[in-house]
Parts: sequence; structure tokens; C-alpha cells
Amino acid sequence: MSALLDVKDLFKQYDNHVAVDSISFQLEPHTATALIGPNGAGKTTTLSMLAGLVKQTSGSIEFADMEGKDIRTCIGFLPQYPKFFSWMRALEFTEMAAKLSGMEAKVARTEAERTLAFVGLEDAMHKKIVTFSGGMKQRLGLAQAIVHRPKLLLLDEPVSALDPVGRRQVMNLLKELQEKTTILYSTHILNDAEEMTDQLIFMKRGKLVEKGHLNHVKKKYEDPKIVVEFGAVDDLERFEEVVPWRIETKGTVGIIDVAETSASMTDVIAVLNKGVFEVRKLERHTARLEDIFLKVVQGG
Amino acid sequence: MNGLTVMLQKEWREHIRNYKVLWIPLVFILFGIIEPLTNRYLPEIMESIGNMPADAEFPWPEFTGQDIFISLMGQYQMVGLLIIVLGFMGAISAERKNGTAALLYVRPLSFVQYFMSKWIVVNTIVLGSVWIGFLASWYYIQILFNKVPAKDVFGFLAVYSLWIVFVVSIVLCLSAWLSTGAAAALGITLTIIGSVLNSIIGQFWTITPWKLPVYATYIFTGHMDWTDLWLTVGVTVVLIGILILAGVLTAKRNAARTEI
Repeated sequence: MSALLDVKDLFKQYDNHVAVDSISFQLEPHTATALIGPNGAGKTTTLSMLAGLVKQTSGSIEFADMEGKDIRTCIGFLPQYPKFFSWMRALEFTEMAAKLSGMEAKVARTEAERTLAFVGLEDAMHKKIVTFSGGMKQRLGLAQAIVHRPKLLLLDEPVSALDPVGRRQVMNLLKELQEKTTILYSTHILNDAEEMTDQLIFMKRGKLVEKGHLNHVKKKYEDPKIVVEFGAVDDLERFEEVVPWRIETKGTVGIIDVAETSASMTDVIAVLNKGVFEVRKLERHTARLEDIFLKVVQGG
Repeated sequence: MNGLTVMLQKEWREHIRNYKVLWIPLVFILFGIIEPLTNRYLPEIMESIGNMPADAEFPWPEFTGQDIFISLMGQYQMVGLLIIVLGFMGAISAERKNGTAALLYVRPLSFVQYFMSKWIVVNTIVLGSVWIGFLASWYYIQILFNKVPAKDVFGFLAVYSLWIVFVVSIVLCLSAWLSTGAAAALGITLTIIGSVLNSIIGQFWTITPWKLPVYATYIFTGHMDWTDLWLTVGVTVVLIGILILAGVLTAKRNAARTEI
């Protein structure tokens, strides 16, 4: 499959501050990619350059099959805090967005209505935006980003500003969209990234520090451990004496590093079966995305 | 759909919703009516409520209708220009500052379309207001003073309109280039203070847009140097073109400064 978007050595400098430092990546069609990184990592600048809002200092952004055309026709962009003309009605704004992206007036109207219904603003489409709550504005922002059916959807922190209910609603909408379009979104809420991601891109101080398929990244950083929780400290001490591996202890919990000791779950169970231990819990633990995030971002 | 058409719709709707389409013409009409009325009736008004000493004599000049047109233009040169500058100083800079421009700039919309939509709509509102103001005044001038030939009135309006288009072009170009506050300060300097200065020290500087309002009045007074007028008109048209070009280019260059 050929890439929809090919970004090469993208670089952006503001005066003497480098915001994005030579990052390269590709987006495959119909995939969702999460751009992850701490505040100030350059996520927003990267998205703004892709959206054509900010011109890169150097590097190239190439769209498949779009030579010589305005790539903005096939991009939908949702800023972190979308600002609307508050005197407009939701339908008017969405319709204007559709027309500006080249839709015929009649089509724009019906598409705008359909899109607003899709994001759950059916009852509010004739209301002025000035009356909208934060969650409604975010959904309107999503509507204007998708109304012209873009090939690439760029979302800057699409759910960060929302309460748990709103976040769930928007996440569900995004998952539906994922089937129809290609999504690149920035986030620092890692549960969301885990839920809707094919590819991960980690950024730190403008640099791309890690990228890859969610499963590959997880595997790379999985850092598996076997965790055994005993009923009493006494049990743990006896267990420590009979096993050949080094064990990290925390109260009544023993943690065995799999990579270091090459112990397997079967080995541990075998040892446990030989003696009399009161075992409360036995589990194989792998790194969560949050652990990986901390590791990637803090390390190096 | 064409980006210019969509943006024209948006601009027009915006100025209806913020009532600029209503209050700006009303202010111009108000001045247009007050000017002939006060000049005609001030002696009587002063006599009845002025509490003047009984033997006081005020030599009140005899105004012609033409004089009233010229003094109304003087009002517009202060209050009118102030309304134009303050009313539209944020046309582009405010959209950049409050972030609403971001959702326009990510669309396949050219900056020519963006700038021209504002230029056309603002000119429509402002020229419309100036014209209705003068026409309202003309009505009262015909009744209270003397008949002023239509040829002179429309000639005067044509020349003055070019000056107004020049002012609007300055304001929008500044709004594309600077922040709203700076655009207002420089806009007032260039238009209002500029024409005052021109009337004081501009005697020998005959070919300049700032002379247009003065030349417009010469149509009434009848001592027009037509060569100077046509040269001035030519220079002004060229300058308007340059202002539009500069506005488009600076709006584009400043797009990256949009708050997002």
C-alpha cells in the first residue's frame, strides 16, 4: 500500500528556537496515527504545517496524487481550541466550511445537515454558536473538519478539553470516522491513544524519538514481569529461597524480571506447586502505554 | 462554490448581525439632515432660546446650498472617517487575533479572495452610507436653500467616493499588516490628520489623494484645475491598487501569526 502522506525532514524554526526538528514519517490510508509527546514537543506546530497554516522552514510534505493541486481541499483540521464566528449559526458555519472547500451550494447544505446530525448537533444546528458549550463547540469543530469528506483528518488534542462523557462521545465518533478516512491526531491522554491507534509517533523537544505500530512499540518496550502476591511475608521469603532468580520484593509482592532472568510463567507455577504457599495473585505484567511514554520521553 | 462569493456572503451577513449595515448609514444620514437644518434655522433658534442681549446683532452669513454640501463634507472628513477607521480597523487583524481566521486559512481560499471580500463589502457599506447621507442632505438643501444642479452633486460625489475608497483601502491594508490598535492609530493619522495637514501645508503639493476632497468641492465653486484632478485620480487609483496588493500580501504573510 502506498502512503497517503509522506513527510520528509520537516523542520521549523522560530527566530532561534527550533520547534520541529527534522521529523519524517508516513501515513498509510485508512489508519489512525497518534502524535504523542509532552507539552511543547512540537505536536501543534507539526499539525499546523501539515494543515498549511504555518510554512515549514525546510523539509517536504507530499500528498499522494495531489501534485500541483491545493492540498487543503483534502484536509480537515480541528485546532485544539477551535474559534468560531460566534454570531453565526452552527449550520451556517458548517455550510460555509463545506462551500469554501469547493462543494456546490446545494450539496454543501445537505452535507452540513448530515454532518451536524452525525456529531449530535441536530437540535442545535439553527442556534447561534455564541450559545454553545465547550463540548458542543468541539463537536462543531469536528463537523467543520469532516463536512467536505477530507482524505486526511488532522486533530489537535481532540478530546483533552472535554469531560469524560464528551470525551467518550467524541472518541466513538472518531472510531467511526477511522473506517472512512485517515486520521492524524495529537494527544497526551494515552488511554485514548491506546484505544484508537495503528501507528504511534512520539515527539520530544521537536524531535521524533520513537515511531511504529502500536503492537511493535508495545513489544519493544513491554518489559515483562511476573508478579506474585503472597498471603504473608513469610511465604515470600520461603519462595525467594527456593527459586534460582533474583526477586524484587515489595511487602508481600515478589516481582521477577523476565528479560533479566528468562523465567517463564510455567517455571514460576512449577516452583509454587512444589511447596506450600499462600498465593493471592499471580500475573504477567507488561508495560502500559503510559509507562512507555514516560520511558521514551524521559529517557535519552 | 467560488471562495469569493462564499466570503462575500459571510462578510455581508456579519455586518448585518453586528448592525453595521444599519447604524453607519444612520449616522451619515443624521449628519446629512442636521447640517442644512441647523445652518438654516440657527439664527431663529438663537433668537428664541439664546437669551441674548436685546440689542445684540449677529451678522449671519448667507449660505448657499453648495456651501452646505461643503460643510457637510467637512463633518464627514472628521466624524465619518473616524467611523470608517474605528469601525473596520479590526476587519482582518481581529480575526487573526481571536483565532477565527484559522478555520478559514486551512481552507482552499486564496488571500486575494479573502482580502477582496472584505474590501468589497466594506466599500459597499461605507460608500452607500456616504451617498445616502449626501442625498438626504440634498433633499433638505433643495427645500431650505437653493437648487443645486444634479450634474454638480454627482460630480462631487464621484470624486469624494474615490477618496472614500482610498481611505477604506488604507484601513484594510493596515488591518492586514498590523494589530488592531496599531492599525487604528496609523489609520487615523493617515486619513484624518493627513487631510488636515494637507490643507495647511499642502499648497504646492497638488497631485495627491489627500487633495481629492478639496478638488471635490471645486466642482461646486467652479475653479477646478481639471489636469490636476485627472492626474490625482490616476495617482489615487494606482495607490489603491498598491494598497490592495500590499494588503493581500501582508495578510498572507501574517497568516502564521493567527492564534490557534
